[in-house]
Amino acid sequence: MTDARILGTGYRTYTGPRLGPRHATWTLARHTFERVMGLRRPARYKVLPILTLVIAYLPAVAFIGAIALLPTRRLGDFVPDVARYYSFVTAALWLFAALAAPEALCPDKRSHVLGLYLASPLTRVSYLAAKAGAVATAVALVTLGPPLVLLAGESLQNAGPRGVGGFMSTLGHALGAGVALAFMFTAISLVIPSLTDRRGFAAAGNVLVLLGSAAVSNILAFGLRFGDGWLLVGLARLPYELTTRIFGRTGLPTPSRTPLPTAGVYLAATAVTAVAAVVTWWRVTRVVVTR
Amino acid sequence: MLNRATFRVGRGVTGLLGPNGAGKTTLLGLLLGLHRSDAGTVRVLGGDPWTNGPDVRARIGYAPEYDALPPDVTAADVVRHIAELHGLPRREATGRASDTLWEVGLGEERFRLVGTMSTGQRQRVKLAQAIVHDPALVLLDEPTNGLDPAQREGMLELIRHVGNELGMDVILSSHLLEEVERVSDSVIILDGGVIAVGGSLEELRGGGDELVVEVDGPADVLAASLPGAQVIGPGRLLVPLTDEHVYDVVRDTVADLGLGLRRLQLRTATLEEIYLDASDRLRAAP
Repeated sequence: MTDARILGTGYRTYTGPRLGPRHATWTLARHTFERVMGLRRPARYKVLPILTLVIAYLPAVAFIGAIALLPTRRLGDFVPDVARYYSFVTAALWLFAALAAPEALCPDKRSHVLGLYLASPLTRVSYLAAKAGAVATAVALVTLGPPLVLLAGESLQNAGPRGVGGFMSTLGHALGAGVALAFMFTAISLVIPSLTDRRGFAAAGNVLVLLGSAAVSNILAFGLRFGDGWLLVGLARLPYELTTRIFGRTGLPTPSRTPLPTAGVYLAATAVTAVAAVVTWWRVTRVVVTR
Repeated sequence: MLNRATFRVGRGVTGLLGPNGAGKTTLLGLLLGLHRSDAGTVRVLGGDPWTNGPDVRARIGYAPEYDALPPDVTAADVVRHIAELHGLPRREATGRASDTLWEVGLGEERFRLVGTMSTGQRQRVKLAQAIVHDPALVLLDEPTNGLDPAQREGMLELIRHVGNELGMDVILSSHLLEEVERVSDSVIILDGGVIAVGGSLEELRGGGDELVVEVDGPADVLAASLPGAQVIGPGRLLVPLTDEHVYDVVRDTVADLGLGLRRLQLRTATLEEIYLDASDRLRAAP
């Protein structure tokens, strides 16, 4: 005779810890990041994030390889410093942000999961904060990572900034530029997804805004000579102008051959980011989830 | 729109009944803190859902009327995710998601994508995500929508199980009288945004001041022998229950007349009668 018993293992009362609203925000941010990066999802959802990371990191790895394999005199200006690196990855950045942001916002509205989220400890504000945080983290993988890899690679091969002071200064600039770009791309790329529940429309809209603003600003500034200031309307140019200013350099050529004022660049970047954030917030706080 | 909506929700399953557009979903939105009332107060589990929404909602489970599940995620992942949002640590959420899906009859299907499931299975996933975090109150909005009779039967059985055996209080919103009557301990009837009637079903049905008598034979003969009796159909009559001896009087009279007694019981109102009566009173009110 044994003392064996069969215990019921079905639904039980929960007596463990309950972690509160902050945990809900963190959970949603992590879930959204995984979704944007295609983690825990079928292979087809991983293609774009992997491709973007390859496009962003490959030049840095290639430049580090070139520094290791070729003599310095033959490299010349072939290998950019960290400040110039952003010009290689801006397109990848935009494409990634343009597609990642719709993935973060649109399915929640289309499948009505937003109603379930707002019936949980999340509020509309913490919902949006979690979504924006997840997109910003994903974008930061591209805006922060490759310049830091390049900086580390150059420095290890004695081809980077001179001395500890130079290294620390470049590191600070790279971190500042990466974070600023992540904020800016996140804010801009969330606007259109907040207006529609169709991922395809939102992604196409994001790309159109980038290309359209670039075309309009170039026509106004270069074609019609309305003034250099119109160049700041171009969302393809503004991020690059911003990063060069953070590194203390002048930007791209202008019709008047004088660089755009640094204060103007900072002001335009701040204004675009703020307006985009306000529009997204306004839309998300007004989505109807129940009658 | 809701007006003059004063009520308290008791233990067990409370049916929230009313035609489409009566204000049922609006009321659930108020309880969740998704809408702000223009006047009056709403207290849910001791808190104000509008000013203290996150803490109140952490103890509520909600299954909306509409399809609210992401199609490209497995049932287990959806339920685990909602459990985590309600404050459960990841490890506990994973375990409970699995247990809860077994509880609602989807144990074998828990790793299927929600988008590949039938309507009945998706309704069960919605129920699972509403109870996975062991809430004190569960709000179910039309949980039998789109289900065939067999699936509806199963869902009602589950709701009764949740309310009576798992220890959660349930508000079941429905426009179907029959299903509310079958599973609810109490009921709130909404009509045109106004609460027409509310209380426990036992109280609303009444203790009964009449007896229903059913006999094999002519009811009018029996009615003539019983003071105040009224024929209500072939072989059926109502007898006023003036005191406890009426039972004996009816039994003896039926025997004396040589009739067969098929039924002798207190008359209680059906939910349909309660509903129609409340609607009539509401329309008659100034």
